[in-house]
Amino acid sequence: MTGISGNDGSSTGIRVASVDDIPEGEGIAISSDITGTEDDIAILRDDDGTCWALNDTCTHETASLAEGWVEDGDVECPLHSSRFNLRTGKVDGLPATRDTVPHRVEVRDGEVYLFPGERP
Amino acid sequence: MTVSSVVVVGGGIAGVSTVAELRKHGYAGELTLVSADAVPYDRPPLSKEYLAGSRDLESIALQPPSWYAEQRISLIGSAAAVAVRPDAGEVELADGQILTADRIVLATGGRAVRPPIAQAAPIHVLREVADADRLRTQLVPGARLLIVGAGLIGAEVASTARGLGAEVVLVDPLVPPLAAAVGSEVATWLHGLHAVHGVEALATTVETLLETPTGVAVQLQGERDSREFDAVLLAVGLSPENVLAESAGLEVDRGVLIDAGQLTSHPSVLAVGDCSRLRDHPRAEHWEAAQVDGARAAATILEIAPPPAAAPWWWTDRYGLHVEGVGEMRSPDAVHQTVVRGVVGEPPFSVFTLRSERVIGAVAVDDPNAVRAARRMIDRQVDVRASDLADVTQNLRKLL
Ligand SMILES: Cc1cc2nc3c(=O)[nH]c(=O)nc-3n(C[C@H](O)[C@H](O)[C@H](O)COP(=O)(O)OP(=O)(O)OC[C@H]3O[C@@H](n4cnc5c(N)ncnc54)[C@H](O)[C@@H]3O)c2cc1C
Repeated sequence: MTGISGNDGSSTGIRVASVDDIPEGEGIAISSDITGTEDDIAILRDDDGTCWALNDTCTHETASLAEGWVEDGDVECPLHSSRFNLRTGKVDGLPATRDTVPHRVEVRDGEVYLFPGERP
Repeated sequence: MTVSSVVVVGGGIAGVSTVAELRKHGYAGELTLVSADAVPYDRPPLSKEYLAGSRDLESIALQPPSWYAEQRISLIGSAAAVAVRPDAGEVELADGQILTADRIVLATGGRAVRPPIAQAAPIHVLREVADADRLRTQLVPGARLLIVGAGLIGAEVASTARGLGAEVVLVDPLVPPLAAAVGSEVATWLHGLHAVHGVEALATTVETLLETPTGVAVQLQGERDSREFDAVLLAVGLSPENVLAESAGLEVDRGVLIDAGQLTSHPSVLAVGDCSRLRDHPRAEHWEAAQVDGARAAATILEIAPPPAAAPWWWTDRYGLHVEGVGEMRSPDAVHQTVVRGVVGEPPFSVFTLRSERVIGAVAVDDPNAVRAARRMIDRQVDVRASDLADVTQNLRKLL
């Protein structure tokens, strides 16, 4: 995994995975050591093949959303089934009550690039 | 008639879900939630993280306190409804205040069953935060705890109490408990975990409980001498809180009787969650069932389509393992088949009940996505092959 920064300081993202490493409907967690963010970041692949990124830890307890069920634009927490919107991070469904943070991802040539802290 | 005022009595998940769903679907009228607690909180952590001390009251709130004002919900906290008069649309509170509404929703939950003999101070039940606070003061290293009833809550407390260093004896005449919920093979393995974690699990019942100066003397059936404990937890079931419903003249039989839209026998009163049941079904007594009840009640009040029917889902945690179930587990017979994915006793694993080619239930240990797949198989009535379910290399979503 490599970090690439343009000379003007604009980030071109961190290459975190090949798309083919993430089955549709599943996710992988990228460690905060790599993302430089407070929380790990989950790269989540919707069942239509698109990739999204959210803070990995469910806002309710400590579950990893990368281990959740991804479908129809949402990820469902593997512990208590709260759902988060993949694009906005908005929570729909207790027990979680707080939205999570979305991050921008881009897929280029079959590689997934993550832009931690940037809005999608 | 358009409904322009709703009063919900009871601030558990069922009541909070009802008010949340009403607003979510555009209800703009008056909305009042009468809650026995200052701020409604969630119950499942009471036997788990809250009892262990790793989560506090604020972190188990069902909604942040500011949410109620944001949603224009008048939360009347630390209050009790003492009477409901359906024809007049009135709810009377203990302080004499009378609320009126076009629709009243009863979300009064239930109380832990406490046999009349068991009033002594070191004898506990667990339903409220105050119960958990009281029990926790006794769960110190080396404390001797007797848990009566090895169902979901008894087993969770055994696990939490061991984590806090208490010595635990767990009694239940039924071995293994939970066989109906998880199937006998998984039930036997789950129950066996108690011994693995140093809990003395006994197939017996309590004959007598006697408060002594230092604790409780307990005579267990089949034992010669009584045993001494510092604390006793009775985890022997739930009794629905139906005082209001009964005095209001609603039809009650082990729960307020409701129809598929949560309506009681009175057309302007609905009931949701643990206090209620469908005439031909037992009470669900699970978190998600109570939440969905709230969504259905909101749909009935707003005369919109109810949430789609979905197989019931629940979870429990013990000894660091996360257990989930969906639908209905049945023993193998002429029409039912049990399919194991993985190895029972070696998490992650899951077990499915198949009726012909259809999944009707599943239980998983540390394998939540197997249950999420099973839930969709049930809800979408997908035909599957037993051999595909059992094949751990087969991605279950590909079967949907
Ligand atoms: C310790 C514990 C652990 C659990 N763990 C799990 C789990 O892991 N998974 C799972 O699926 N389920 C679990 N459950 C079950 C789940 O919590 C319940 O099914 C759920 O709480 C039911 O919600 P409810 O809103 O119907 O009732 P309740 O949560 O009982 O809420 C009803 C509320 O109404 C109030 N009330 C009653 N009468 C009045 C009145 N006259 N005026 C004002 N207020 C009133 C009560 O005080 C209470 O606050 C657990 C339950 C307990 C007790």
